[in-house]
Amino acid sequence: MNVSIVPSLKKLRPVAMLVIVVLLGLVLGYWANAAFLPGTSPEQPIAFSHRIHAGENEIPCMYCHTQARLSPSAGVPSVSKCVGCHLEIATERPQIRRLMSYWDNQEPIPWVKVHDLPDFVHFTHKRHVLAEVECQTCHGPVETMDRIRLTSRAADGTAQANHPWEMGQCLSCHRENEVENGTDCWTCHK
Amino acid sequence: MPNIDRRDFLKLVGAGGVSVGAGFMLREANKDATEYLIPHVVAPEDFSSGLATWYNSVCSMCPAGCGISVRTREGLAKKIEGNPAHPVNQGGLCSLGQAGLQVLYNPDRLTGPLKQTSARGSGSFEQITWDEGLDQLGSRLDLLRAARRGNRVAMLTQGVRGHLAQLFDNFMRQLGSQRLLHYDFNHPHTLYAANQRFFGQDRLPYYDLHNTRMLLSFGADYLTNWISPVHHSLGFGESRQGSSNERGRFIQIEPRMSASGAAADEWLAAKPGTEGILALALANHIVSEGNYAGADRADWAVALTDYTPAKAAEQTGIPQSTITRLADSFIDIQPSLAIGGGAAANHSNGVDTLMAVNVLNYLAGNIGQEGGLLLNPEPTSVVSQQQQASYSTLLEFAEAARQGEIDVLILNGSNPVFTLPQASEFREALASIPLVVSLSSFLDETTAMADLILPSHTYLESWGDDFPEPGMGFPVGAVSQPVVSPLYNTRATGDIILALARQMNVGTALPWENMEECIKDGWRQIYERGDAQTLAQGFDSFWTSVLRAGVWGETAAGDSEFTLDRSVISNIGVQAPEFSGSEEDFPFILHPYLSPNFYDGRGANLPWMQERPDPMTSVVYGSWVEMNPSTAKELDLIEGDLVDIQSLHGTVRAPVYLYPAIMPNVVAMPIGQGHQEFGRYAKDRGVNPIEILSPEIEPITGQLASSATRVNIVPTGRRSKLVKTSGTSRDLGREIVQFADVNGVELSSAGSNSIPITEVTA
Repeated sequence: MNVSIVPSLKKLRPVAMLVIVVLLGLVLGYWANAAFLPGTSPEQPIAFSHRIHAGENEIPCMYCHTQARLSPSAGVPSVSKCVGCHLEIATERPQIRRLMSYWDNQEPIPWVKVHDLPDFVHFTHKRHVLAEVECQTCHGPVETMDRIRLTSRAADGTAQANHPWEMGQCLSCHRENEVENGTDCWTCHK
Repeated sequence: MPNIDRRDFLKLVGAGGVSVGAGFMLREANKDATEYLIPHVVAPEDFSSGLATWYNSVCSMCPAGCGISVRTREGLAKKIEGNPAHPVNQGGLCSLGQAGLQVLYNPDRLTGPLKQTSARGSGSFEQITWDEGLDQLGSRLDLLRAARRGNRVAMLTQGVRGHLAQLFDNFMRQLGSQRLLHYDFNHPHTLYAANQRFFGQDRLPYYDLHNTRMLLSFGADYLTNWISPVHHSLGFGESRQGSSNERGRFIQIEPRMSASGAAADEWLAAKPGTEGILALALANHIVSEGNYAGADRADWAVALTDYTPAKAAEQTGIPQSTITRLADSFIDIQPSLAIGGGAAANHSNGVDTLMAVNVLNYLAGNIGQEGGLLLNPEPTSVVSQQQQASYSTLLEFAEAARQGEIDVLILNGSNPVFTLPQASEFREALASIPLVVSLSSFLDETTAMADLILPSHTYLESWGDDFPEPGMGFPVGAVSQPVVSPLYNTRATGDIILALARQMNVGTALPWENMEECIKDGWRQIYERGDAQTLAQGFDSFWTSVLRAGVWGETAAGDSEFTLDRSVISNIGVQAPEFSGSEEDFPFILHPYLSPNFYDGRGANLPWMQERPDPMTSVVYGSWVEMNPSTAKELDLIEGDLVDIQSLHGTVRAPVYLYPAIMPNVVAMPIGQGHQEFGRYAKDRGVNPIEILSPEIEPITGQLASSATRVNIVPTGRRSKLVKTSGTSRDLGREIVQFADVNGVELSSAGSNSIPITEVTA
């Protein structure tokens, strides 16, 4: 008796094609979202530009992020700090008006967080600032950004946009600089 | 290319489109939720995000008055530690003090003023505003004051010291009321009375456990709850392992082994209530052996004739040889110190017992000596020791209420419905008071009976100050400052009182805007009494330095010279204790002891304290009744058997716990559980042994003789499993416990399955 599976395979062909198309579609949709909407540079409540402040006007980072050298967190400036300058400077621009409306209502500005580490990592700004690590080493060329963009440091030491920090990146820098206990688990995971 | 007809093609395109969309949404759904960085509008001066700020303050969880340092971050309290600069606790803090955070963050806190809407105790309350609440109470008070009927207003507060106590005093005086009652279940009335009679001072001396080499404790569980447990723990450690070469010896005499008994070198069980007789027998032996050379030697010999060791051995159940040995070592090992408290002080002969303990200190020359007992100087500060109300005083008050003499009762933190025996009928007396107002932060049993609740801040949110009693041989004060902003719509107790005063138009006598001002004003007077160096810095900098250090001390010292009034000697004597209930019907003596976790029950709403195993039994959560294994055998009971503990005045039901270190005719129960209210963690858990206590009193002080109740144990035939962390309390040949006798000969632990105790015939 001559048995062939070809006829039954032929019957399956439309189903197989459907599966392939659906899978391709899923991957494409997923990739498209990741590529075009990475969420690594979200829109902020006020279009604050680091390029103007840190770049053109060369305001030092720690003028506003005052706690970076003292505390685990760098801190976001209080509304009153912004207002301190902008009572006088560029008062007519729409973004500054927006700032002043927050101030008039005595409301905080809900900045969207861009750089974040998981809760199980105990990162402290203080140590890195005191070790004279440039802010840009981790945060990328902030002084060129109009809107802040998630940036990390690639293996070759260059800034890597839209990519979150991963442990390997921390470690490679710790190794390069021969940080004391820099590869010890408990240094960061307490 | 296979043949695809138009229809199939369109189907595939459709499916492809849908799946692209699905893929897109899949990624969208997997994105982390947006987080925000919310800045301050105006940066506060005293904290930076990510950095801890520590505030020094005062612990209010028990009357010891330890200094605390609270770690705060972003304006929230995170951890409470002891303040290293405070002489009372020197950086130490007990578990109850640490659990103070759960008072602050307790989900059952009262978050705003409430008004009872139907019958009392029904638990139906409606929210009102502060103005309404203060108006309702204030107008009532104002009317009574104007009609010169201020004495119809009573205030019942938990023991309060410092300027808040003064404020209460002042307020009640303006009202024209003498009915200001401070009440704590554990207040040592008998100790105050005994010291007043012996030393002529209405304050406690400083017991120098740090430097003593020989401590005789008659029932005082000094490591857990006697006066200032954290300070005593430090002293215990110093005496045992401190700078001296000689290790301190600790001897504990009590019917049921407490944590202090477990830590002692020797634990002895005298028959309950005979501790004073034992102390006098020791004194008798000291005098008769010629170990006391004072001029009043002959007087003592006469006063103590009835208390020979032989006679005391019969009365106390402690062998004569042990009595004479203790008496000899109390003289031989110097410095020595005798203390008394706990159950020994809570009998009908409590004051006499503690007088007898003072006799021992007197005869051994321990008074005014380092390592003995140091008399505290007269408090120079404006803030004097508050007068605590005794059980009898509360009974009088309840009677006055029943007679319709009380119109308004203001409660502050005190929970008498829980901490008074049912025999006092206090709860019933409350019904005769037309307006009951509570300033408590929690809905405890008494607050549940209130018509109006004006909830106070917790101690971590309020201004206050404290002057620990006893002093440390010199006066100590500490300011309690708010470490966080108030979490809810509550107010500081002092602020409520000041607002009421304004409403009554007696603001001129109480001129302060708020409690902070009142405290600051009071401390200005302390500052003005200071020496030249203090005055040179100016008040503001003095105030800042007190707040920063969290504590302030003066260098005055008490009299080291002490002359005993001769009339004291002839009045020395200890009667046999009286118990309520006949020995036939109620064969056991109930030994209620303060739980190391809950103090007098005020810690029962803190989950940390509920979870903490009891140090002696390792039981968590519930209540239990401890009995000697031999007693249990006689009654045919094993661990976990539910029994009814019956007294003349009530019955409670609890599971049996076999406790080898308790006298066979004594059963013990921890106090603290058995709340009917007081939040989700405390409610309906265990039983409250205070309920069934007989209203027996110590006649001199009117204190409740809480150890004088006889009970019967009735098996119910039911069982419940005790939740405890330890498996068995027996060694079972594991050689966990090694025994060595005094000559250094090793003994095997095998066969030593229980702690040997002095056998006593019931």
